[in-house]
Amino acid sequence: MKYLGLIRANLGRNKLRSALTGGAVALAVVLVCLLLTMPAGMDTMIERLASNTRISVHNKAGVVYPMPYSFTRKVRQVDGIADAVSWTWFGGAYEEEGQVTFPSFAVEVDRIGSVYPDYQIPPEQLADFLRYRDGAIVGRQTLRKYKWKLGQRVTLRSTVWPVKLDFRIVGEIPNERAPHFWLNREYLDQALKAQGRDGLGIAGVIWVRVDDPNRVNAIMRTIDTMSRNSEAETASETEASYFANFFGSLKAFVTIILLVTGLVSLCIVFIAANTASMAVRERAAELAVLKAIGFSRRVLFGTLLAEAMVLASSAGLLGVLIAIGVTKALQGAAGWNPSLGPLGSFIVTPAVIVQGVFLSLFVGMLAGVVPSFGAARKPVVQTLHEIF
Amino acid sequence: MADDVASGPKNGILPALLVWSFLTGALASTWTIGYDASSMAGENGFPLIEIRNVTRLYRRGADEIHALADVSLSVQRGHFVAFMGPSGSGKSTLMNLVSGIDRPDGGEVSVAGQLLNHLTEDELAIWRSRHVGLVFQFFNLIPVLNARDNVGLPLLLTDLSRDERDRRAETALRIVGLQDRLDHYPRTLSGGEQQRVAIARALVTDPDLIVADEPTGDLDAKNAEATLDLLRLLKNLFGKTVVMVTHDPRALGYADDVFHLDKGILLEGESAARASEALRMALGGVVSTGAAT
Repeated sequence: MKYLGLIRANLGRNKLRSALTGGAVALAVVLVCLLLTMPAGMDTMIERLASNTRISVHNKAGVVYPMPYSFTRKVRQVDGIADAVSWTWFGGAYEEEGQVTFPSFAVEVDRIGSVYPDYQIPPEQLADFLRYRDGAIVGRQTLRKYKWKLGQRVTLRSTVWPVKLDFRIVGEIPNERAPHFWLNREYLDQALKAQGRDGLGIAGVIWVRVDDPNRVNAIMRTIDTMSRNSEAETASETEASYFANFFGSLKAFVTIILLVTGLVSLCIVFIAANTASMAVRERAAELAVLKAIGFSRRVLFGTLLAEAMVLASSAGLLGVLIAIGVTKALQGAAGWNPSLGPLGSFIVTPAVIVQGVFLSLFVGMLAGVVPSFGAARKPVVQTLHEIF
Repeated sequence: MADDVASGPKNGILPALLVWSFLTGALASTWTIGYDASSMAGENGFPLIEIRNVTRLYRRGADEIHALADVSLSVQRGHFVAFMGPSGSGKSTLMNLVSGIDRPDGGEVSVAGQLLNHLTEDELAIWRSRHVGLVFQFFNLIPVLNARDNVGLPLLLTDLSRDERDRRAETALRIVGLQDRLDHYPRTLSGGEQQRVAIARALVTDPDLIVADEPTGDLDAKNAEATLDLLRLLKNLFGKTVVMVTHDPRALGYADDVFHLDKGILLEGESAARASEALRMALGGVVSTGAAT
């Protein structure tokens, strides 16, 4: 502690250089902290989205491969199942917004309420969904994004089927993170048949709600056994697992980002090390005098290293605070901007804070150790000869 | 002690205020700089520095340069001595050995009862911090520290509290007459003032030995004499042993003993007398009015 004044004075010697170096370290810590929140943020998103009594049944070959629609009826007959609803990908593009697409599915309108009781869709809206063949129930996020209102009519062109359909928005999924657009399966089926096609004989995913969470695994095994040796063998999984797999592809992307961040941090170590070397070189005469008046190599090494670490850790703390501020701002913004919805799940946890601070200490140590050691290890007489 | 002060150089310009500040300030301090007139009287007359048959070689490629060759001398405790000689004579090498900055290749260097030959780099650093105060030609103050903190630097190596370190640094600055410059940074001080801060830094740990390397080399005549006056005052008032390396012929008027070196050899007898005479001539007789050769 007694050397703190000396360390502080030396850090203030070239304020611009200290600020720039600290800024670089702080920026690296901000980046790393934000990226470290991603895996936990995804888990949080899955927890919020997923139910522990709902399971997804899809083609074993992958979710993009369909199953015969008739399998839905078989699934509903399995003991322990409360209800099941099939989703078939519609791929609706909203032309008024430049062909944007969002998750839109053809569903059995009479099954939605019983499979998704946790979504708490008002009964009168579910009744309208049954009543109007062209009715649609839309997630709050999507409603807000396109400023749609209940009762409004919208036209979506399917990117999967050769149809363009008008919809009447009759209900809202009161969930900030639900982007879905549900439409009546019969409506799509009839539209296809009106074109002389076979109609909608397939299902993309069957969502099943079971009565007892303890029976989920047994029911999944039963369903998959039922489809064995059929043309579309199924793979059942819990809703949480389904979303986890869905986000799995993103995790590989996150890994790449983390690797890039690691490289950026390494660059910042080199920058900070270069700065520390310059600072030590500029002060060669002073360091020689300190040695001469009795500062041992250990003390000199310690104070120089401490300088680098104080600067880096201060910058690291600043970086952590900025990261916390950014995630708080995103959480706040997610409330009024639905497109930011998922980002609201990213929170800088105490573990991330600790990792951020440790990263900055590590950067400080790596950056400071070589020039500090170099300055300290030279014999005093050699240093004095070089300087005077 | 009063006689000692009175016997200072007649041409000295050290303000009387400096002595007054010392008498009223430093002595009133509970921290004593280390000079006890009665005890020092007993210690004077014993060698503080003993150098026996010292050699120091430098290697430049295949060449060996004898910076010092078989040098022997002793310096009495409480004396003010000067190492003089032309560039390359070995005086700075000798100073480095005496101050524990360097180690000899042969012979023995003993200072304050400690044989320095076999101490490690870190042991020498600790020894220097306790026994030696260094003054450099270019002052070499830390520009980002004020005068008080510059003087207090060597005290960081002790276990003293911050308050105590500050108090001792302020006392040392009062002794050199800079009690009103405590919070000034080096850039706001004149060359002479910076050198006085450097002397206060050398004094603050109450060392046995003060070693000054060309302390007047970067000063004008007025400040050079003030610095020499101050070094002499440290010897007279505190009984410090002062070793000064210098080209400055004025040193002859202040030093108790002058050691002349040439090409790594200590001049003795007639050679030394001739060297001193040459310096006196260079100074145009001013030295003859000095007090303490």
